[in-house]
Formats: sequence, C-alpha cells, structure tokens
Amino acid sequence: MDVNEYIASGTLELYALGAATDQERREVECLSSIYPEIRQELNRLTEAMENYALTYSAEPPADLKEQIMAKLSFGDAQPEAIVKPMPVSRPTYNFTWVAAAAIGLIILSFALFLVNQLRESQQVQATLRSTNNSLQDEILQIRDRQSGLDAALALLKKPGTRIIPVVGNDKAPGSRLAVYWNATSKEVAIEVNGLPKLAADQQYQLWSLVGDKPVDAGVFENTPSTGQIQRLNRAIGAADAFAVTIERRGGSPTPTLTALVAVGPV
Amino acid sequence: MARLWAMAYIWPTFELQLTPYPYLLKRSQPFVSESVLIEKLSRRDQQAFHWLYDQYSPALFGVIRKIVHDDEQARDLLQDSFIKIWNNLDQYDASKGRLFTWLLNVARNTAIDSLRSAKASSRPNPANAIHTDSENVYIVDSQHKTDPVPIEHIGVKDMVDQLRPERKMLIDLVYFSGYTHEEAAEVLNLPLGTVKTRIRSALQELKQFFSR
Repeated sequence: MDVNEYIASGTLELYALGAATDQERREVECLSSIYPEIRQELNRLTEAMENYALTYSAEPPADLKEQIMAKLSFGDAQPEAIVKPMPVSRPTYNFTWVAAAAIGLIILSFALFLVNQLRESQQVQATLRSTNNSLQDEILQIRDRQSGLDAALALLKKPGTRIIPVVGNDKAPGSRLAVYWNATSKEVAIEVNGLPKLAADQQYQLWSLVGDKPVDAGVFENTPSTGQIQRLNRAIGAADAFAVTIERRGGSPTPTLTALVAVGPV
Repeated sequence: MARLWAMAYIWPTFELQLTPYPYLLKRSQPFVSESVLIEKLSRRDQQAFHWLYDQYSPALFGVIRKIVHDDEQARDLLQDSFIKIWNNLDQYDASKGRLFTWLLNVARNTAIDSLRSAKASSRPNPANAIHTDSENVYIVDSQHKTDPVPIEHIGVKDMVDQLRPERKMLIDLVYFSGYTHEEAAEVLNLPLGTVKTRIRSALQELKQFFSR
C-alpha cells in the first residue's frame, strides 16, 4: 500500500474534521496504528483542528462548574487516605476488656466495703476502750475506798477506840469532823464533813495537843463526800485535844496558829 | 490504643498542583501530563475533574457556542457534555488520539445532535418551508459573522481569517455544523471532488499555519 497516496487522499482530513464515515474511521484508526507516517500526519491534522477550535475559546459562566459537579459522582477524592474501620472480628478481645473492667469494679467496691468495715470497727473499739478505762478507774476508786473503809472499820472494831468530835470555828463554820483515836494501838483516823475548799497548794493537817505542845498527826484530803474515813499514818500515844490547821501541801512541822480552823477536846 | 485509632485519620493528604490553562496560540505543555491526568480521571478523582474542567471548559464552551449560537443553550450543552465525558471516560482510548481531540468530539457531537433533534422535531412544522432559507442565510452569514472573541485571541483570529474564505467556510460547515462532505457539496452546489480537495487544502493550510 502506498502510504503517501493514502495521506494525499483526503481521508485523514475528513477524519480530523469528524466527517469521516464509520468505515473510513475504522480504516484510519487501523492504518495509523500500523504506519507511523500516517499516525504523524493524523496527529498534525488533529492538532491543527484542536488549535483552530481553541481560537473560539470562551469562558463558561462561573457558576456552571458547581452545577456540573453536583451532577457527577466522584471516586474517593484522596485514595491515598485509606481509612479502614477497626476490625470487629475479635469479640474475645472486647470480652477480655469488659471482664477485666468488671473484675476491677468488683475488687474496688469490695475494697471500699472493707475500708468502711474497718473504720466502723475502729470506732466501736475506741468507744469500748474509753468505757473500759472509765470502768477501770471506777473500780480502782471503789477499791481504794473499800480498803480505806476496811481499815477504818478495823480501827473502830478495836477495843479502846474513841470518837472525838472536832468542831469548826468562825473560819470553817458549820463543819463537823470526827477523829477516831485508839490510845493503845496509837492509831488515828479522821472523817471530814463540811470543811471549806482549799487552794491547790494547800492541805489540812491534824494536830494532837499534849498539854500545850502540838504533835503532827498527819495531813488529810478535804473529801467532799461524807462517811469516808481517812487513816492517818502517824502514831499518836497521848492527846488532850485535837486541832486542824490549813498548811502548805505536804504538811508543816509546826502548826500555823492563825490558820486554825477547828478544835475538839478529848 | 487511642493513638492508633487517631493515626487512621491523620493520613498525608495529596494535593494536585493545578495551573490555569493559558489560551495561547501554541499548545502549552500542561503541568500535569495527559497520561497522569487520565490515570486520575479513571479513578473519578475530584481534583482531576477540577483540572479537566479548568483546562478544557473554555475550549469546549467556545465550540458549543459556535455550533448553537445561543449562550443559554450552550451552557446546558456544556453541562451535558461534561456529564457524558465523566460517565464515558472508559471509552476514551489513548492509542487512537489525544484526550483533547476526544473531548472536543464529545462536545461537538452533543451540540450537533441537539441541533439535529431540534430540526427533526420541527419538521412537521409548516415553517419548514423557510427552513432552507434560514439555513442558506446562516451559511452566507457565517462567511461574514465575527463571533465575540477574547482579546488574547485576536491575533490568532486575524491569522485564521487570512485563510481563504471559501476554505474556512467549508471547515466551519463540516466541523461546526456537522455536515458530511456530500451534504456540504450539495449545499454549496459544488462537485464532491472539489469539496474533498478544498477540505484537504484547508486543513493543510491550517496545519501549516499552526506548525509555524
């Protein structure tokens, strides 16, 4: 086949103008794929037509692009951004998490329960301890008093024990004391009743008077309750009278006569 | 774990660089080659559509407007053309010709078809009698008609107008009105051989002109 003759035939021009018949079009496409010269000529002609068409270029209305795009369907605009959903085909994985969370919750609530219990029992324990302490104190007081009473009762039971009333003067009006004294065993005890309250650094002291000479018979507490007998740790063999003075705490070797509050003759 | 999930969303995004198509006499080399564009078009990539539209819509719109002589209709036909192009991209065969030629043919055929169907529907109309007259008027008119053309094309336009009028008219009649060369011969009252010769001469002249 003569290529140049075909090029000169005008069929390629008809093809470039889009006026070729179907048969001519197939013929041109076939021959242009075989003969490079035909392909080259055809390219030049179609390029010329493209350029010719370009001379009529006109900007389409600005809003048309949007309208057209609204009518088209697009593929993924960014195919590189593959967003895969997280695989859901691992139920054991999820179950593990749920189970772990549940166990954690159970342990946590149990721990809270234990802490609560501990706090409650601590409170109960503290209450019990304070009650126990107060009971203990009471028992000790009762025991002290009991031993005092036992001693006083033993003194009273002894033959020869005398009860000497000691009456308060104008410094301790209305106070009535009783001194229990056994001259044989030289024991002495006192029952306080209605003495005035003293300062913290002061104490009452009992004296036995032999003639005009005062002998220390011991200090004693001003107990508020009546009927309590205090043993005094002194040996008194002789006494004409008993007297009570206010002294410094711990007692004094000689009585302060200005602080004499009560006197009772034997 | 949460970090892994977030990574799925912060993936590198790919931006296609676009350059506005300059309407130059010589074909400018596009920033993105046709083969890359075609590959992206085959995936119906949205960026590729922007590029396609920005580059080719003025040319296609100009051709359609030249065919139908009506801006409103040209607008609708350009839309139809792009829908056809988008839906039939798979039919484009790069081995048979360049993309631009294919795009031009789709737009041209769409516009010519719409003209023909308009003619066909008006055939039973009594106004049919003056139909050939108006057609003749158009042919004569097209020899003198100067379409509004963007400023930057005026130089090219002048040079194209240096083509011999009977040759340019023949090209326009076939290319823009969709006449076969037989129809053109009949309308122009010329022998078929003369029409074929003139078409060939006209295109050779155009080819020379644009390869200068």
